[in-house]
Amino acid sequence: MNANVATAPAHVFEKRRTVARTREARAVWLFRAVTYSVLFCGLFVFGTIFVRGSAAVFQTSFPFINVGFFTEAPESLHVFEFDGAAMQMGDREFREFRETHNLGTTRVESYVYSAGGIFPNIIGTLLLVAGSMTIALGLGVAAAIYLSEYSAQSRFIQSIRLSILNLAGVPSVVFGLFGFGLFVLFAPVIGSEPVANVLSLRMWPLSLYLNFTGWNVSLIAGWFTLAFMVLPVVITASEEALRSVPKGFREGSLALGATKWQSIRTNVLPYALPGILTSSILGIARVAGETAPIMFTAAYVVRDKLPWEGLEHWYDILFQGVMALPYHIYVVSSKIPQNEYTERVQYGTAFVFLAIVALVALSSVLLRNKLRGAYRW
Amino acid sequence: MKLMSEPTSSTSEPVTRSDRVTTAADPKGNASAKPSPHRNLIEVDHVDFCYGSNHTLFDVTLGIPEKKVTAFIGPSGCGKSTLLRCFNRMNDLIDGARIVKGEIRIHDVNIHRHEVDVIELRKRVGMVFQKSNPFPKSIYENITYGLRIAGVNNKVRLDEVVEKSLRGAALWDEVKDRLHTSGLGLSGGQQQRLCIARTIAVEPDIILMDEPCSALDPIATAKVEELIHDLKRDYTIVIVTHNMQQAARVSDRTAFFYLGRLIEYDVTRKIFMNPSNPQTEAYVSGRFG
Amino acid sequence: MKRFFDAELETLRSDLFHMGECVINQLRLVLKAFSEGDSHLAQVVVDGDNVIDDLEIRIDEEAIRYLSLRAPIATELRILLMGMKASHEFERAGDEITKIARRIKNISSDVPIKVGPDIVQMGEIAASMLSDALDCFIQGTEEKALAVCHRDAEVDQMNRDLQDELAELMTRDPSMVSRCVDLMFVSKAIERVADHATNIAEETIFLIKAKDIRHTAETRRPAASGR
Repeated sequence: MNANVATAPAHVFEKRRTVARTREARAVWLFRAVTYSVLFCGLFVFGTIFVRGSAAVFQTSFPFINVGFFTEAPESLHVFEFDGAAMQMGDREFREFRETHNLGTTRVESYVYSAGGIFPNIIGTLLLVAGSMTIALGLGVAAAIYLSEYSAQSRFIQSIRLSILNLAGVPSVVFGLFGFGLFVLFAPVIGSEPVANVLSLRMWPLSLYLNFTGWNVSLIAGWFTLAFMVLPVVITASEEALRSVPKGFREGSLALGATKWQSIRTNVLPYALPGILTSSILGIARVAGETAPIMFTAAYVVRDKLPWEGLEHWYDILFQGVMALPYHIYVVSSKIPQNEYTERVQYGTAFVFLAIVALVALSSVLLRNKLRGAYRW
Repeated sequence: MKLMSEPTSSTSEPVTRSDRVTTAADPKGNASAKPSPHRNLIEVDHVDFCYGSNHTLFDVTLGIPEKKVTAFIGPSGCGKSTLLRCFNRMNDLIDGARIVKGEIRIHDVNIHRHEVDVIELRKRVGMVFQKSNPFPKSIYENITYGLRIAGVNNKVRLDEVVEKSLRGAALWDEVKDRLHTSGLGLSGGQQQRLCIARTIAVEPDIILMDEPCSALDPIATAKVEELIHDLKRDYTIVIVTHNMQQAARVSDRTAFFYLGRLIEYDVTRKIFMNPSNPQTEAYVSGRFG
Repeated sequence: MKRFFDAELETLRSDLFHMGECVINQLRLVLKAFSEGDSHLAQVVVDGDNVIDDLEIRIDEEAIRYLSLRAPIATELRILLMGMKASHEFERAGDEITKIARRIKNISSDVPIKVGPDIVQMGEIAASMLSDALDCFIQGTEEKALAVCHRDAEVDQMNRDLQDELAELMTRDPSMVSRCVDLMFVSKAIERVADHATNIAEETIFLIKAKDIRHTAETRRPAASGR
């Protein structure tokens, strides 16, 4: 039997082992390994938070979720022994307990922020995200429309675009300080009288004054600071989305006698919305999780009132400070002594934070998919 | 035995002496058309055009007659699409594109003057593009788009216009029971006819067509050509085409452009049977370049 | 699919039909003028040739226009080319008939009894050949067309016989020479008209089958052909 017969190809297109094929196989394995390791790291982080935070979020009895964690404000935790049993109580419960039971000289240890819940923080974060994303989308889409549709493509505009991109790289702490200097200390407030020692402009012809007293640490200051922080992403992504709408739509509507704005409003913007919303998903994650900008501009470590409580006028809510989730994590992790109780609260807060961001992002994705179906092209 | 009588018959286009437009060469060797007794709806008067520093049209003069089909032919880059887009000022969208000399008059008005409302101009001078661009809305919304942005909202009137335009575009029977489905669900030829229906819904005087059939198969092309033949009863049509046989079939007048100059402009049968200029002869017989 | 310029082709076909009918009509009139010795009728025939010439020019113009502007191919192209050729054949047939009409004025009514009806009979056959060829061309059927080609042999034979007879008549009675020459001429002219009809029939077969049968065995005349 001829050895050649065994190795002769069965047909013209038979597969043969080549160097290129081996290289390809190796490359694919490398990509696969890298992807899975990244995935593993991510899962590890999420897994740790989930496992350790579940002590605070879940409980063994019905309804299996520690509802108190979500509905109460943070309190101090009191740990003591009573009748031989180890007891842990939040502040309010402890006070009631103390009235009804005689503690005598039992040693009580108190841990700050380790009991209660994070309800005000959740509210604060949600309010901050909602307001800042609204402002960011409003300003960002308007700027993107101007840059991509109306402005002449000169070098000046190119340099503006470059500056916007650079803004994306500015550290969030710097944004916090910027917000502090501009919005907290110097933003205008409308008043009926001028304020001394501060720039006051009369709003002709009304007898109202624009007093540049600043907004203080407030929701509105936080909104604008966060909005400016996320603006570069929104502008860039919106410009891309607008540019991806085919030129034929604009030409077609202009040729029918539409003004440029009519053409954009009815024939370009709706079809760019899915892309714009995608950018908002990225923005939401960033806005919800940043601590430094809100540290100077909107967040309190502790505040006993919710933003809508105790207001004189409805618009006063804009000038309230709030508690926020990322700031709370920061406080609980570094500003107070660490022990097993604080660890529980840290991870619980982180867990809730991730869950909320995931929920908001999910709803944004659902909205985008719905829009994609309606405005498909 | 019957005596012979003079035979009578009718051709599709009675050619009378007054129809003939003669082209004469001026001292520079450019062709210019002497005006014919028929009314010229569009007058191009010694026009030079530039895209930035790129000089595209040189001293073009011609008149587009009313309610006839005029074809612009010529090799790629000869300026025919540029001239077409001047008529409804779509060139305004391009930075640096401008007429540097001469003027274009429609209804005896220089359309590049400041006082001219571009929106109004574009309502009277409609355009059908090479790549059909139906909006990703329903067929109904596509057709009523032009009217809606002009402020017409009366549903009865809109329904009327939709039916009239679709009938005018020979598309009504094919789509009358799916008016609210997406315009993108139609075939290529139907999409182009939808774009034509959309254009005639605003009742323009002039329809500009920039290679409307270049992306269509022969049957769809034939249907669009039949449509053009019908439309010229009511509209003045200017069509840019690469397809010489198409220009020969549908147009009454043909203008041949080369490198930004008008080489010859005459009745179509003269251009294709006995052109005056040897360059024209070479181009129409496919021996150019 | 019906196109808007289909009407132009229809116009051309109807013009050709009209031309053919005119020619057949001319032939019938001239035969009548011949058998009755009517020189007024002959003059009518001579005048009528202008119409046929005008039709030929018009058909050519229409055909060239259609070729330039409509770029026809396949059947349409063959219709146009053969239509142009057929119109030329008809025009020449018309010329032959006109020449006969001119000669009739010279021929007096004392035509030899025997020869007259033969010529008229030949003329009738030629007229029917023209008519059949025209029918085939307009309707596009080929059965009659081949029959026309074959009948041409018959006409050729009749012509040959007539020529022989007239030659004999001339040698017998020298006073009849000029009249016999006229009659020989008329006979030859009718034979040529039959040839034109045959050409049209051949062109019809090309139109239908895209096969050129001219000068082939199907239509070749016998080697011992006449003068």
